[in-house]
Amino acid sequence: MSATKTVANRAIKARAKATPDRIQKDIISAKAIIDQKIVDNAIHHVAETEELTIADLPEGDISVPMNMWLDHKAELQARDSLVAVQIAADEFPEDFVEEYAEISHIVLPMVAHIDGRSYSHAFKLRTRFNYDGEIRAIGDVKYDQLGFLTRSGCNAFELPESESLEVALNAFSEMSDVYQPSADGAPLIFSRRRTVH
Amino acid sequence: MYKYDAVDKAIVSDRVEQFRGQVSRHLAGDLSAADLAPLRLRNGLYMQIHAHMLRVSIPYGLVSSEQMRALAQVSRQYDKGYGHFTTRQNIQFNWPELADVPDILKDLSNVEMHAIQTSGNCIRNISSDQYAGVATDEIIDPRPYCEIIRQWSTLHPEFYWLPRKFKIAVTGATEDRAAVKFHDIGLEVVYNDNNEVGFRVYVGGGLGRTPVIGKVIKDFLPREDILSYCEAILRVYNLHGRRDNKYKARIKILVNAMGIDDFRDEVEAEWQHFKDGELKLHDIDFETMQAFFPKPAYEELTSGDDRVAKWRSLDSRFKAWYDNNTVDHVEPGYRIVNVSLKEHGVAPGDATDEQMDAIANIAEKYSFGEIRVTHEQNLVLADIREQDLLEVWKELDQVRLATPNIGSVNDMICCPGLDFCSLANASSISVAKQINEKFDDFEELYDIGEVKLKMSGCMNACGHHHVGHIGILGVDKKGEEWYQLTVGGDASNDAALGTHLGKAIAKDKVGDAIGDILDVYKDLRSDDERLLDTFRRVGIDPFKEKVYSEEA
Repeated sequence: MSATKTVANRAIKARAKATPDRIQKDIISAKAIIDQKIVDNAIHHVAETEELTIADLPEGDISVPMNMWLDHKAELQARDSLVAVQIAADEFPEDFVEEYAEISHIVLPMVAHIDGRSYSHAFKLRTRFNYDGEIRAIGDVKYDQLGFLTRSGCNAFELPESESLEVALNAFSEMSDVYQPSADGAPLIFSRRRTVH
Repeated sequence: MYKYDAVDKAIVSDRVEQFRGQVSRHLAGDLSAADLAPLRLRNGLYMQIHAHMLRVSIPYGLVSSEQMRALAQVSRQYDKGYGHFTTRQNIQFNWPELADVPDILKDLSNVEMHAIQTSGNCIRNISSDQYAGVATDEIIDPRPYCEIIRQWSTLHPEFYWLPRKFKIAVTGATEDRAAVKFHDIGLEVVYNDNNEVGFRVYVGGGLGRTPVIGKVIKDFLPREDILSYCEAILRVYNLHGRRDNKYKARIKILVNAMGIDDFRDEVEAEWQHFKDGELKLHDIDFETMQAFFPKPAYEELTSGDDRVAKWRSLDSRFKAWYDNNTVDHVEPGYRIVNVSLKEHGVAPGDATDEQMDAIANIAEKYSFGEIRVTHEQNLVLADIREQDLLEVWKELDQVRLATPNIGSVNDMICCPGLDFCSLANASSISVAKQINEKFDDFEELYDIGEVKLKMSGCMNACGHHHVGHIGILGVDKKGEEWYQLTVGGDASNDAALGTHLGKAIAKDKVGDAIGDILDVYKDLRSDDERLLDTFRRVGIDPFKEKVYSEEA
């Protein structure tokens, strides 16, 4: 990735596909954590490859790369099961503002948990585009990321199979207080202290 | 100084228990070493050559006597009886056991200290002027602003996984002692035409492999907007900074790639979305925070205590210390005392538990119970009555903390180097010792005057060599330690990067090369020029000729 300037109305035709920031393999998890509860999961997250076509999509609930959604929205909307849409770390939520009214679930694939871009994506989706559907983090997402991802606007998570979801639930109650606002609408610490004085 | 309220206490205490959980999950095999690594780093815990290293945060370098005693106790109980003060005004311990670290942090939380964000790719300790509140050239006290930024940046959920580490510094004085132009964000206090307080904002400065002087992104940022503007910069950086190459991931690379004007446009556009929202600060916020940094209960005194003149004339050692290690104070009858952590033969910045306890006691007795850590790896007692100077000097001298070498060649900044650090290519501490031994004549040092000598054991530049009046960089050549020298770097207002002297110098010749540089300076200086001034006038060539002449 090079440091290029964001262009709000970039040509969709020129959009990059299958970059290293997209998930490289489909992700299918038996369970998910949604709104801090462990639930069964049915969403099959389809990886973006150069060859992926709409004919390759599996039956049932799926999430598709944003490119697929932009290219085949009508066909995808004609399916009778859930279609969630992925926004990768190297994409920009401001490029898809017109789409959000038609998307009920956004998926943020984390290729590496040390890559913090998806936190800013979630924050913008919630606070700037007022997106109130589900925002789900998948991929390299573990216990120790859940707290901050939640504050940034994610409300659903799928963890790698090796992780205990029961243990991971502790992440939501580790910190009893915070200093700053994020997508959680927490007040700035100084505005709380103002009211004391 | 700032005192924790219930919110601060809860956050620090929860973070200790969270870290305890992370360590115990790791020890139980449920959290891999690879997954623990970025988590422990964000709590100041590194893995070095021999052992773990724990870096404890000292926000803007301000530490109380009680906290200093707690640090001494940590070094005694969990380490080898010493600590190392760093260029980010923090302290690090080189030998803690992983399993003990949660307990260390628990002990430190009892005195309102923590290790949060002292490492890792997140917002680091906010650094500032070690003379804040007492400097004669101060425009406004930077500490309240530092503390406000510290709280906002602590465990910020969105900026915990940045492309690379992120350092913010604030200066409130005419002379920049915080090196704001060498920070990811540098804030320099300014008044606008309406006499309102704000900041000139620099962005994209830094040292490391690619040293860059920060650029002005905003000439005047009203003080109520500092948090929102920092957030806008951080968000643009988080999204656009390079993540494919850790050596090109700092914000300075992004700013250079985009150009400061395009970068500014991007930040300003981002800022418009929320600039007048929740992050906007109110006057009461500054007043509340300033109240934590009140003017101490100074006595009404006059400057120029007769006794000081007498002591100076009677005792040459006291005179040397007074002349070199003490600085004018804004309050009549008081002086700022620099406590040198550059005793010859000791690693620069190191202090033993006994020394930490002693300084805590001296501070309590003579300086309102506060100590500051400087980015030049010394300590400061900010509020010493002139009439107490002799006693303070004696008490410092008893614990070998009165070496009269502040600002001299021997007051060098030095990274831990190959003796401790897994990144280093060459040792620093042994070269520091070599220089100490070569320049053991204090009269000669005083004649040479101010020389900021800064040394790093590798190109990551923890010793800030790029901005040393003389800079030394350790390099590895086929398994041997060699050293590259620069002359003319400057971290202060006239920020400049050092000029390369020439090819690298063998380890045992570094002291001689420094000697040659200083000989050239002594030959060529006019009037009261410092080495830096002479270099700026005559350029690198005379220095180069002398240092390399013997080989010709």
